[in-house]
Amino acid sequence: MKHELMEILCCPMCKGDLVLTVDEEDDKEIIKGSLFCGKCNEHYPIEDGIPNMLPPDLRE
Amino acid sequence: MKGNKIKENVKEAYSKIARNNNSGCGCGGSSCCVSSNQDISKSIGYSGEEINNVPEANLGLGCGNPIALSKINEGDVILDLGSGAGIDVFLAAKKVGKTGKVIGVDMTEEMIKKATENAQRYNYRNVEFRLGDIENLPIESNSVDIIISNCVINLAPNKDKVFLEAFRVLKDKGKMFVSDIVLLGELSEEQRNDKDLIAGCVGGALQIEDYLSIIERAGFKVRILGEDKDISKRQYEGIPLESLKIEAYK
Repeated sequence: MKHELMEILCCPMCKGDLVLTVDEEDDKEIIKGSLFCGKCNEHYPIEDGIPNMLPPDLRE
Repeated sequence: MKGNKIKENVKEAYSKIARNNNSGCGCGGSSCCVSSNQDISKSIGYSGEEINNVPEANLGLGCGNPIALSKINEGDVILDLGSGAGIDVFLAAKKVGKTGKVIGVDMTEEMIKKATENAQRYNYRNVEFRLGDIENLPIESNSVDIIISNCVINLAPNKDKVFLEAFRVLKDKGKMFVSDIVLLGELSEEQRNDKDLIAGCVGGALQIEDYLSIIERAGFKVRILGEDKDISKRQYEGIPLESLKIEAYK
């Protein structure tokens, strides 16, 4: 996931802003990390560069 | 079948298709199994050049070519609802250029992985794929210029929500271009609940008039761009349905 994507990203449930935590990144993108919605108290993981923005009940 | 159970069924079917690398009867009845992905994509409006752009991204799962219908400008932000292996995302990426971006949302992990691999292999830098539910888009309001979707919305249990979400994320005067399967006659109860027909874009499809009124109810003005009735014979064993191509304005 690229940093600039944060501009148009929001929580899928409440549509509020997300806080990004980066655990691993290269010169192009964020490889591992998470996106946190304070209002829903929900973490959305970023793995292998792909943000998992599925609502909690649809995640495996 | 209801809500999340339908989604689980669809996810399972499309994970299998992603792993097997072919349409394997994704969108279509059993007769589509005899056609190649290339033949199917040609029959629904893709040119040879478009298919060969990123060949691995063509799984023969569409029912139209929304990119060909749309008027994409350089610098636009494009959103693909149900992006699969990414065929339409990559075609859109060429049109928006370096200053634009294309976002693909899909709820099937295998499809998103495949699309991401395709993006890396062909060095597309202006595309992003994310796992998400088109009924609950993780996208800011008023941030997208054009939405495209190809044979996917029929799979969503709550189509009202899909179109309301589409309307929310589009900028003012934004447009949506959709190809989708709609019904022209009644299905039996058995057909409606058939797992394969649901994943095959039939079981969850709405009557054309209901489909159009849902889009209007979400706030859009709708224009019909084309109706492919022949697809019923080609891919759906004569079930009364068509592929509807529409343009919707915010």
